[in-house]
Amino acid sequence: MTMNDPFDDRLRAAFAAAEPGRDDAIDTEEFVKRVQGRITRPDRRRALILGGAGSTGSAVAGTQLEGFFSNPDLLPADGMIGQVFTYASPEMLAAGVLAIMIAGFAIVIPRQI
Amino acid sequence: MSRGASDEELIALVVAARDGAAFGELVRRHQGVVRGMMARMCGNHALADDLAQEAFIKAFNKINSYTGSGSFRGWLCRIAYNEFLMSARKRKATEKAMERFRQDIDDVEAPRDMGSVVDLDRGLKILKEDERVCVVLCYASGMSHAEAAEATGMPLGTVKSHVNRGREKLKAWFEAEEAMAS
Repeated sequence: MTMNDPFDDRLRAAFAAAEPGRDDAIDTEEFVKRVQGRITRPDRRRALILGGAGSTGSAVAGTQLEGFFSNPDLLPADGMIGQVFTYASPEMLAAGVLAIMIAGFAIVIPRQI
Repeated sequence: MSRGASDEELIALVVAARDGAAFGELVRRHQGVVRGMMARMCGNHALADDLAQEAFIKAFNKINSYTGSGSFRGWLCRIAYNEFLMSARKRKATEKAMERFRQDIDDVEAPRDMGSVVDLDRGLKILKEDERVCVVLCYASGMSHAEAAEATGMPLGTVKSHVNRGREKLKAWFEAEEAMAS
């Protein structure tokens, strides 16, 4: 590293002896935990903001669903999907779609936080 | 899994997936050097830990800029050193106000027993800022000249000059103090 005469050893020893007291220092694991806590917090905030925005969007979209399901011109009349629209009321379909959206958020958001 | 991985593998995990556990392992491995370096430069463990924490957060946020051309430790120490400089600038106004007061106290209370306790802090005060930083990094933190150059962003030759000049000044200072004490 540097020249190696007795003064170098003495200087290193002086630094070791003059190390500031560790009374107010935290231990390694506590330090790691604090850093990890601070790096994950922005992700949590991001997930909550995105989740909130998504939920608001879903709620607004949900209010339009009933009108969508009430309009026969927009819905398929044939096949299995057509059968579903025949048996279920528009309110029930809108509630079903909303339930699927909420379940999606319930699964995804906790994983992100 | 992360405990057995190399630094490079952990960095790749952090870059690819912002993996908090992998970064935690990097912090665990390098916190000793960074905190030790900060403690010796600040002379205060609580402040040193705060600055070290900030340095690790910055390292996490800009880990994409780590190119792998130097050691991760050197890159980290450079961020920590910049953090120290920024903090020192902020504290400079307060420090100046306190300096005269502290010098008065030093003149009255500083120990003169150079045979048993070496008053390193007083010795370091005679060095210029850059000399002090280079001496601390090389002698107290055990860094090589190249690592100190990487950490401070100074050219290798400059670091060597600062270390040698600082070392010579300290040697002369210690000898003078010992001559006075005997």
